[in-house]
Amino acid sequence: MVGATLPISIVELLLSGAIAQSGHDAAGHAAAAASHAAPAAGSLGAVTGTLPQWTLLIPFLPLLGCVLCGVCAVLKIRNKLPALITVACLAGAFAATVGAYMQTVGGSGGGGGGGHHAQAAVVKAWDWISFHWRDNPSPSAAPDFVANFSFYVDSLTCLWMLFVTGLATLIGLYASEYMAGDLKTAGYARFYAAFCLFVFSMACLVMGDNLLLLYLGWEGVGLCSYLLIGYFYKKPSAVAAAKKAFIMNRIGDFGLSMGLMLTYVQFGTVEYAKLFPMVQGYLDLAQHGKMSEIPWMVQVIPVLFTLGAFGKSAQLPLYVWLPDAMEGPTPVSALIHAATMVTAGVYLVARFFPLYLCSEWALPIVAWGGALTALLAATIGMAQFDIKRIMAYSTVSQLGFMFAGLGVLGAVGGASHVFTHAFFKAMLFLSCGAVMHGFAGQLDLRKLSGVAWMPGWKIVTLAMFVGCLNLAGFPFITAGFWSKDMIIGDAMGNHGLQAIGWILLFTAGLTAYYTFRVFFRVFAGPVEYHPGDEVHAHADDHGHDHGHGEHAKGDETHDGSESRHASEHFHPHAPGWAINIVLLTLAIASFLIIPLVHPFGKAENTGDGHGHAAAFWSATMVGSSTAGVEPPHAEHAKFLGMTAHEGAMYASIAVGLLGIAVAFVLHYVGRRTAAVSKADAIRLGGVQTAAQHKWYVDELYHFLIVMPLRVLSHIFHAFDKLIVDGLVNLLGWMPRGAGHTVRRTQSGVMHDYALRMAGGVALIVLAIWFLNTPAGDGDDGDAQPPPAAHASVERAEGVEGVRP
Amino acid sequence: MMLLMLIAMPLMGALLIAAAPESRTRAIATIGSLAPVAWFAWLCTRFNWHGGGGGMQFEYAVGWFRPLGVTFTVGVDSVAMLLIGLTVLLGPICVIGSYTAISDRIRTYYGWLLVLQAAMTGVFCARDVILFYIFFEFTLVPMYILINLYGSTNRKAAATKFFLYTFTGSLFTLAGLVYVAYRRAAVSGEWTFGFEELAQTCRMFTASEQAWVFWAMLAGFAVKVPLFPVHTWLPLAHTEAPTAGSVVLAGVLLKLGTYGLYRFVLQFCPVAAIEFAPLLAIICCIGILYAGLICWVQTDVKKLVAYSSVSHLGFCILGLFALNATGLQGSVLYMINHGLSTGALFLMIGMMYERYHTRNMKELSGLAAKMPVWATFMVIFTMASVGLPGTNGFVSEFMCLFGAFQAGGAQWKGLSADGSMPVGGTLGVLGPYIAMVAGTGMIVTAIYLLYMLGRVVWGPLVEPAGHGHGHGGHGSHGHDPTGHKGGLPTDLGRREIALLVPLAALCIGIGLYPSSVLETLREPTRATASLMAETMNRMDAPKSEPAGKPVAGVEGGSESVDEGVTQ
Repeated sequence: MVGATLPISIVELLLSGAIAQSGHDAAGHAAAAASHAAPAAGSLGAVTGTLPQWTLLIPFLPLLGCVLCGVCAVLKIRNKLPALITVACLAGAFAATVGAYMQTVGGSGGGGGGGHHAQAAVVKAWDWISFHWRDNPSPSAAPDFVANFSFYVDSLTCLWMLFVTGLATLIGLYASEYMAGDLKTAGYARFYAAFCLFVFSMACLVMGDNLLLLYLGWEGVGLCSYLLIGYFYKKPSAVAAAKKAFIMNRIGDFGLSMGLMLTYVQFGTVEYAKLFPMVQGYLDLAQHGKMSEIPWMVQVIPVLFTLGAFGKSAQLPLYVWLPDAMEGPTPVSALIHAATMVTAGVYLVARFFPLYLCSEWALPIVAWGGALTALLAATIGMAQFDIKRIMAYSTVSQLGFMFAGLGVLGAVGGASHVFTHAFFKAMLFLSCGAVMHGFAGQLDLRKLSGVAWMPGWKIVTLAMFVGCLNLAGFPFITAGFWSKDMIIGDAMGNHGLQAIGWILLFTAGLTAYYTFRVFFRVFAGPVEYHPGDEVHAHADDHGHDHGHGEHAKGDETHDGSESRHASEHFHPHAPGWAINIVLLTLAIASFLIIPLVHPFGKAENTGDGHGHAAAFWSATMVGSSTAGVEPPHAEHAKFLGMTAHEGAMYASIAVGLLGIAVAFVLHYVGRRTAAVSKADAIRLGGVQTAAQHKWYVDELYHFLIVMPLRVLSHIFHAFDKLIVDGLVNLLGWMPRGAGHTVRRTQSGVMHDYALRMAGGVALIVLAIWFLNTPAGDGDDGDAQPPPAAHASVERAEGVEGVRP
Repeated sequence: MMLLMLIAMPLMGALLIAAAPESRTRAIATIGSLAPVAWFAWLCTRFNWHGGGGGMQFEYAVGWFRPLGVTFTVGVDSVAMLLIGLTVLLGPICVIGSYTAISDRIRTYYGWLLVLQAAMTGVFCARDVILFYIFFEFTLVPMYILINLYGSTNRKAAATKFFLYTFTGSLFTLAGLVYVAYRRAAVSGEWTFGFEELAQTCRMFTASEQAWVFWAMLAGFAVKVPLFPVHTWLPLAHTEAPTAGSVVLAGVLLKLGTYGLYRFVLQFCPVAAIEFAPLLAIICCIGILYAGLICWVQTDVKKLVAYSSVSHLGFCILGLFALNATGLQGSVLYMINHGLSTGALFLMIGMMYERYHTRNMKELSGLAAKMPVWATFMVIFTMASVGLPGTNGFVSEFMCLFGAFQAGGAQWKGLSADGSMPVGGTLGVLGPYIAMVAGTGMIVTAIYLLYMLGRVVWGPLVEPAGHGHGHGGHGSHGHDPTGHKGGLPTDLGRREIALLVPLAALCIGIGLYPSSVLETLREPTRATASLMAETMNRMDAPKSEPAGKPVAGVEGGSESVDEGVTQ
């Protein structure tokens, strides 16, 4: 993994975490400071280097994998070959990404100050949509609108692609075991084909060198998401969830497409390498506070993009699809709906950060949208019982953090949190998936308890624990803590948006609570389990799993101490080697990435002019890309009498530990059985029920949007039948009353009819000729009467002509 | 002569079918429809795809009816060439696709199917107005027969309505065209129906006169497309038509309307087109959303796809009336793409219907479990229809919308800071707001098409209890318990897959590499777009001078004149 370049032991991390306070403040300035590493003014986003053609392997190896999996499906291959192909292709893509990263950032990117060496390069595959629209007669003129299948690689691209391809490889491996129940059907190959296609689309999204290719990826990941959420297509709920996800995303896509068109109209290009240098001019205006001089059209573009970003990244008001998306297989939830696809919106904002800075409204919208979503989703997450849904709401909430971070001008914080979140959230989902897999689809935290004490679940428990620590923001030793803290600090330091800092801080407390609520209920406590409703399906593939799994039967027989079994025949089956290895790798990686998102006091040591740049890895990765532009005002607010970041750190340590403590008291100490805990005793009126019902937002949307639209459709349908068609029929009746033509046309003598029609045409022509040949005189150009008169005559003739 | 062969081959096939015994019919029909494909492929190699300044190629003319100056003139540019390509491609697909569906009166069926193909090819080749009109109207007859004899329960009413509706409409078109010819004859003293001559004459008309011609032509073409208020024949005709009929109807016949608008309305009445473009755009927007929402409450899957054509072609016409090169290219490409994807969808629904004898989504569900291959193709074509990037539908939908978006003209000048045209804007009368309204159509499209997929392809498997509904006057209905007609496999057979693969390949191929097609459309659309730009400048010129803003007016004008006139 990425972290492998940084062999820092955990002990060292703990130590340096303790001394981190001094350096931490510097981390807060990362966004501003990192911009020093940005290319010189005017060359923003410009191509500064080249990359070898093998960079194309990053998107196209997964595409090859998709095709090969398709071939497997056609050839009815019913073994693990598709998984093998996928993992091989994705690992290849990951290797290529690492290679591209080495070339782009110069190899010494990790932790060092290599930022200003980072280059941007474009690698072209082929012409995609390019066309001429200007009136240029030269046959050799270059197309006016160019959107090629070519890939723009800079440090931001690398940041995203490293975790996209890396996690995809791991999760592909995980899924080889998880999906093994479907080996007997075509589902296995179908799953992997869509999985590969997803990575290809994601690569297009992140690496596309123009907005249109980004849009291709954008909708492509939407398609794969649709196909994979609806993977269990016999389940109506899965089908509905897939549909909902696609349509909700389309609403966002609409905004993105309009923004794309406006971008072209305003700038005359959608290619980053040409676009960003042009944005620079407006950016200069923005940095000098001359917002009013930036044209309205430029300011609207990022607002439209934001709609797209909020759709894809499940933010208010378009977040409702993501929790439902948990209908998909868990590896899909982990990869697409937690780690990668849903961060596409964050990528969009980060990529177009310069453009966002040119708009008065866009970043505040992003910040408030993110913060409110974070809060709302966290409150819902607290009241859910389905562990996968809790994770889904926490994803929505964490994405809200990322957007809030970007919105308060903390591009580094936002992007770092994307990076760390990808690891720990994937890990959480995969752990939940292992539980779900082992307990026949059981996800209700009231029906599972003490998983940690069961044989064979050690690694899952460990991974879950580490993931929970990260999500809860356990101080110092978790990557999630540092990246989330950066965001809260940025918000606290932003004069106008300090309220967002408070919201996020409060949400952080809630997050810690609901995270550990899951852990204490499911993994700790007395051993108790009830299998889920897939018990029969699992009984079928149970034996099969033993064929390849590493577990002997005796390994998982339940010991006598477990007293309550819903089903005496049910044996939970602990995960096999593939799942365990992946979980272990992720758990380790989640520690190894800590130095990537934190300077650990190294900041001051660089010595040169960029000394305070706090050049930790993710800051330089963001800073040397198009996102690395200096925000207009750099003055920072104080918080709790300290610099904002210091204050925020103490505050978030406090609320994080408090949240964990509350969860401990309510759900560990105060719990005797799986179903009952002290938390049940707390009554808050209807609040819990309302939160459990997701604040009735789905119902509200249904009532306010879907129902009216549906009614309107029915009205239109009736209108179409009765009025629009009715009028036509009425007209049709008139001649029918006059003669029996219609009946005769139905007599079946078709050839006759054709002849008559041809005759009619000839008759019209002749009639006009006879009528008009003598009238060769009255023809002074502008005569008004003839048109209407003649037209009507001809019409009459025509009608007469065909009706025998 | 080269083009005549394309028309003659299917006609000869039809004659042979009439002469030969019934046992040979299918073979002859197959050869008669495949031969034009081969011939067309050869023509493609001879055709100059990039050139001719938008001029016609493969021209061939003979005198026909001298007193009226009617000639038999054919010729094609790349637009016509592409549409002919679509026609000849769908030909064999329809023929081969009907092998199992049609077992009664097959000689009549295949004979008329081939005649239909010849007529449609003729429309796209014709360069003489009367010749065009004759081909145009002649397509009605075979289609009428196909629906009337081989359709479902309500086929007779549907066929009659189809015929009378479109025929009545096109009489207005004829009236308009003949009026232009008459005016020309009045001036020059000599009758001609040559396309170029009439177009030139019509362009000289006053605005109000052009408006008359415009509406007369539109009456016929709008019905054919069909545009919003005059679309009701289409769902009926589609639901009742046999599969091949629907494929041809959606694939090519509707394109006669769009092609007519492109070829006649824009070339003949540029002033009126500019004047009425906003109105047309609003009609398109209504059509897109209105028909889209209607799709959403359909229970008959074929009717759903039929209404979706109304919605989709709204985009196509919107692009056309953007009146700039982007929109025009998008619109022409849309014609091709819609023919491929919607034609394919009808074909797929036909395959499903052959197996279950119902198209009611309440009786059918979750067919993916039973027919995975069918379901896979269904998803591909639906996604092409949704306009997913990477499929052909996206390219054309994007370009149509983008063309309309660009064509803001004065609106853009108002929006930009200094009153100048932004680099990516063009002259025009539509602009971003209309494009935005139409753009919501892409959400609606997703809603109804995914609703269809969710019902038919996904979900728990539901098959009709007994399938002997007695639909249609064709085919024998075996009552075997699986609900399948004898001889057809559960999932798609090789013949059916072979029909779908080229369509799917084209959908994805055009989606991933549209530049080659777009390059061929460059010249013809450039000519049309510059005609429009020129006209717009001319229309603006007298207005801006007395307005007292000479500087701004002249500046804006001259800039666009440069765009429009320098050729």
